[in-house]
Amino acid sequence: MLQQLRWSAGRVVSALITLLGVSILIFAAVRLMPGSYEDIILGPLASPEERAALAAAYGLDRPLVLQYFSWIGQIFSGDLGTSFVTQTPVAVELGARIPVTALLTVVALVITVAVGIPLGVWTGVRSGAKQGGAIGRVVSGLGISVPEFVLGSVVVFVFSRLALGIQVGGFSQVGAGFGPTVQALLLPAIVLSVFCVAASARTTRDAVMNVLVEPHIAAAVARGETPWHIVRHHVMRNAGIPILTLLATITAYLLGGAVIVETIFNIPGLGSFMVTGLDRRDFAVVQASVLFAATVFIVVSLVLDLITSALDPRVAVTGKAGS
Amino acid sequence: MTTYSLPLVRRKRGATTRRARDGLFIASVATLAVIVGIAVVAAVVPFAGDPAKIVGPRLSAPSGAALLGTDALGRSVLARLLEGIGTTLVLSAIAVLCTAVISVILGMVAGYLGGWTREGVMRFVDVLYSFPSIVLAILIAAVVGPGQIAALASIVLVTVPLMTRMVSAASMAVAKRDFVTTARISGVSGPVILFRHVLPNISGTIAVQGTYALSVGILVEGGLSFLGYGVQLPQSSLGLLIQEGSSYMVQAPWLLFSPAVVLVLAILAINLVGDTLRDRLDPRETRSLV
Repeated sequence: MLQQLRWSAGRVVSALITLLGVSILIFAAVRLMPGSYEDIILGPLASPEERAALAAAYGLDRPLVLQYFSWIGQIFSGDLGTSFVTQTPVAVELGARIPVTALLTVVALVITVAVGIPLGVWTGVRSGAKQGGAIGRVVSGLGISVPEFVLGSVVVFVFSRLALGIQVGGFSQVGAGFGPTVQALLLPAIVLSVFCVAASARTTRDAVMNVLVEPHIAAAVARGETPWHIVRHHVMRNAGIPILTLLATITAYLLGGAVIVETIFNIPGLGSFMVTGLDRRDFAVVQASVLFAATVFIVVSLVLDLITSALDPRVAVTGKAGS
Repeated sequence: MTTYSLPLVRRKRGATTRRARDGLFIASVATLAVIVGIAVVAAVVPFAGDPAKIVGPRLSAPSGAALLGTDALGRSVLARLLEGIGTTLVLSAIAVLCTAVISVILGMVAGYLGGWTREGVMRFVDVLYSFPSIVLAILIAAVVGPGQIAALASIVLVTVPLMTRMVSAASMAVAKRDFVTTARISGVSGPVILFRHVLPNISGTIAVQGTYALSVGILVEGGLSFLGYGVQLPQSSLGLLIQEGSSYMVQAPWLLFSPAVVLVLAILAINLVGDTLRDRLDPRETRSLV
């Protein structure tokens, strides 16, 4: 127990260090980008005096270290800065876009869990009798190998050509009601979930197969337990951790902004926010949105690790799940 | 008495599977060989013509004159595709080579020395790993400016974290083994132990992770060029061709078709090769999921 507490505390500390590193890297990247604030706001013809005045107004004449700390300080006071382009507070825009990305994540995740995991369990259990054949491997491999920008483009083309009754792009105004919003997110979520379904099916299959060779499964079969009972009580409990790990990774990956899918389908989410911010050199937007995405990833992996160690105390001792 | 459909599983894999896997492995290697071979031949003998030359009317369908049709400027899609395959493969291969060198050195040192060195390397790697890969790639492209260098640097920084972790874990396991202890006691220096004793024993992990990194690299180049931050016109790459294809999809679907098929085939074949290598060389469950 003590060991587990110590392990958890260590894990939290390392997450904080990672977060610190991430914030420094983002800050550095934004400062290193060609094109300064002065160039963007005043244009190339501004006089040196004007530039100096602007730099002073934004605090850009201070040492970088001070600028970094004042940025961090502002974040803690809830101020994410103001967009140069739209002149609205970044926090407000981020607040409007996060729900969209979150909803997209939820829809994609529901599809992944509903399709990928049963598929993985089924192929994993069946593979005992006859190992997953070449066709299964090609199909699951294909799901992982088709990039979003190919699948997305094809889906947009097919659905806009054939008018199949599902709305393509043309994302309705945020707050147009739950029904239309989910409908507009359905196709992009399907495009996103193809990779996730294939990945989760593969992981689940491997996890199930790893458990099936354990002696306690043979014992359960010998006791005359039904296959369904064995799968539910003996297999899934032990196969749970790798599956949970994968789902957490997928969640973090989706919440980080499905940049390409949001671009293809014109969805006003986090991913397209980052890309347009970068295109316009809207530094406050870039800093805040990238930091948000990375923070989500770090927090999700931290929570996952803590849950895993609670479920399987061996994690805290050996650093990895048992079996 | 119930009837069972849940069979007892033996650890040993059946001979049928072996054969099916081998067949798939050979097919994947053959596919890759064909793709690479065509690109190499095209680079030496431009049999499909000059990719920059205008050969026919704009957006004409595949025909005898232009086997895969022409693009929006009337250039031969086949010639540009061959150039694009070359660019994508060379970029990804160079990037993965850089990744391998960086990750092997960082990972081996971290895994062998352990302690604070390992902590430091892992935190560094975690920082990179925390960014969604395409976001990291775009950020890098914004700093160094769009182009081939941006694509290369992005692939390296996206693939380094996972490979370093895997190499470090494998090195840590090797460093605990008796022959390493023996070497250390008999006074063999650190670098010699790493290169003579640890490296040969983690070569399986390196091969597997390198293979997966290559498929991620092709994906990152594709995504970056698709968004306009990677390889720039008038050059061509698979991602760039797919981006062009998707903007003319309604008038000329063949523009998207050929680069997309080549890209998917290449990634699929590399992943399948990686799976087979992993089964053979790297028995621990280490799977890339990027």
